[in-house]
Amino acid sequence: MRKRLTRFGAVLRKEMIQTLRDRRTLAIVLLMPLLQLLLFAYAIDMTVDHIPTAVADLSLDAQSRALIESLLASGFFDLTLYARDEAEVMQAIDAGAVRAGVVIPPHFGEQVERGQAQALILLDGSDSFTVQSGYSAALAVAQARAMELLVQQVDRMGLGSSLAGLPVTTSARVLYNPALDDLVFLVPALAAILLQILSVNLTAMSVARERELGTLEQLLITPIRPLELMLSKMIPNILISAAGLLGITLAGVYWFGVPFRGDPWLFAWVSLLFIISGLGLGLLISTVSQTQHQAQQISVLLFMLNLLLTGFIYPREPMPPAIQAVGNLIPLTYAIRLTRGIFTKGVGLSFLWGDVLALAIYSAIVMLLASITFKKRLD
Amino acid sequence: MLRRVWSVMQKEFIHIVRDRRTLLILIGMPMIQLLLFGYAINMNVDHIPTMVVDQSLDSASHAYLDALVTSSFFDLIAYLPSQADLIDAIDEGRAQAGIVIPAGFAADVERGQAQVLLLVDGADFFTSVSAYNAASVIAQTYATELLVARVERAGLAARRGAGPGEGLQGLLPLDTRVRILYNPNLNDLWFIIPGMTAMLLQVQTITLTAAAVVRERERGNIEQILVTPIRPAEFMVGKMVPTGAIALVNLLTILAVGVVWFDVPFQGNFWLFLLLALLYVFSGLGLGLLVSTMSQNQKQAHQLVALTTMVGLMLGGFIFPRYTMPPLLQFAGNLFPLTYFIPISRGIITKGVGLESLWEPVAVLLVYVVVVVTVAARAFKPRLD
Repeated sequence: MRKRLTRFGAVLRKEMIQTLRDRRTLAIVLLMPLLQLLLFAYAIDMTVDHIPTAVADLSLDAQSRALIESLLASGFFDLTLYARDEAEVMQAIDAGAVRAGVVIPPHFGEQVERGQAQALILLDGSDSFTVQSGYSAALAVAQARAMELLVQQVDRMGLGSSLAGLPVTTSARVLYNPALDDLVFLVPALAAILLQILSVNLTAMSVARERELGTLEQLLITPIRPLELMLSKMIPNILISAAGLLGITLAGVYWFGVPFRGDPWLFAWVSLLFIISGLGLGLLISTVSQTQHQAQQISVLLFMLNLLLTGFIYPREPMPPAIQAVGNLIPLTYAIRLTRGIFTKGVGLSFLWGDVLALAIYSAIVMLLASITFKKRLD
Repeated sequence: MLRRVWSVMQKEFIHIVRDRRTLLILIGMPMIQLLLFGYAINMNVDHIPTMVVDQSLDSASHAYLDALVTSSFFDLIAYLPSQADLIDAIDEGRAQAGIVIPAGFAADVERGQAQVLLLVDGADFFTSVSAYNAASVIAQTYATELLVARVERAGLAARRGAGPGEGLQGLLPLDTRVRILYNPNLNDLWFIIPGMTAMLLQVQTITLTAAAVVRERERGNIEQILVTPIRPAEFMVGKMVPTGAIALVNLLTILAVGVVWFDVPFQGNFWLFLLLALLYVFSGLGLGLLVSTMSQNQKQAHQLVALTTMVGLMLGGFIFPRYTMPPLLQFAGNLFPLTYFIPISRGIITKGVGLESLWEPVAVLLVYVVVVVTVAARAFKPRLD
């Protein structure tokens, strides 16, 4: 046992020195996640409003102005262009100058009086976020305006008292994030994904690099065992990842003011497990690859999977089962649920034990596989 | 000069073809990703697992819940006794939305004071926004119907000239139609494929060349290249052409999967698209080369690639629209070729427009390629000394 520890300690020291020596890489590695968090937290605005809009008002009367006013007042549409007719609106959308258009036909005011008015709202269908917000906003504003007009007319006919308001109102309460604040959605998941990318990248090149540089031969003549080698490659990187995580979390909570509702210690332990699973996955990539170039290709693939299959941006529920299963092979899938659970919902282990268990099993399997594939490659 | 470039190209081709496994990954990867993501991404969230606390259980509450279910946005998976149970279920993740109907709902509806509470899991963006929007629209429609029914009962319908049962549209004085251009059925794939093509090509091209120079440096081959009469810019071009060939294969397979397999209509001119895509491929390869000359070892290059692709992805307009970003970040997005190619790709594939609408991003891309290759060649030179 003591022999084993000496062996392990020697290789660990080598890894530590190698990690600390390359200052430039270390600086990139430590600063990158923080920089990205700052960048993305400012950049990403999930509720799309202030959509650049062209208006072709062919009536220019009180009614048309009122409708346009109510569309602009909703905050979803910004009037950026007055167009002469529908064709000009279409042209502006084609060219990408605006993303939405409002067309109001001539004699709009009279038609409203007769109860047959029609207005047209056009949306650029090549951009999904714009369409989603624009569509529901436009419908809601238009319907509200129509109801207002109806109530006015009814009032004038003297029925007003019986129609004081809508008979049913829905009050919606968004749990955990009542103001639908983007950052509350974004920061916990962003922390998880940046940590995942960091941890996988840290180890993905490690073994392939030794192989390519020829230093693997030197390691092989030492008495170190595969699992020990894997562990010693992992430990310095745990420290780096933990530093990265700490930076991201502090920036999220103190700089962006995202509330941290759960238990910080639980979060720390779960994150440690998550870091280990990511580093293990990186090691597996590294032992499977023949060159650093290959390792890089595989980790880029993984990066895309991370982004699109794990529930970071697109929800997992509507995905077909086979694709969900692919997502289950990535530790981030579990971690996103965990960080959102602890960070945003403030729930504890009693709700999250399933994902924690999955991560623990995952880490063990990945480490074993990495050692086994490493061993095979030796023979 | 051409002969010198040609010899570097030959060398690179041999490198690429010899390493079969990497080549296979390079050619197969983008196609597999597109297949995967094409099936995976579904932005219109419907069938949200929903639990209900109905404390009235009368005809009005049944009618209201029916309206919710037929919208197909909500799937009622369970009835619960109380609001506390509902919040527990959302905490645990068993339900993502919940509806609470208070006691005496039918009577409240008659008096015009009924209230329904919708609870949404706010940890997931798409679900909460979809549920929120759907529930408000459904509630508004339901309320309008009730209102119209009451107006009809009061005899207003006859006076306004609309027959009974003609419904909502006949009665409301203003009818607004919303028309979604280019993608009227809100088909997810029509949104995704053009942007995804741009993005996969970006990631692929940057990774292809990012390792190119630094690998030679790390292995010591760079010394051998330095003693040949090749010039930095020639060396860069020689590195770009063979990898460009791989990216071209990727482009064609991605398009084939998108257009043939996923049936996304290609509205514009195919040859124009191919030409501009080629320009775009070279801009990405150039950016990769720049990363490669700036890095000291492959590990650094790898980190920089991860940074570039992630930032390009978030700021380039593929997922999140650019006009909502603060000006400074819009400017940061301008540094990535993806930002210029997304309008081109969407313009040609989805909108079917031509150069007359797209000349601006095309011109920028042209300048970009020249600048990035020059800068990479310059950065390569001082490193030689």
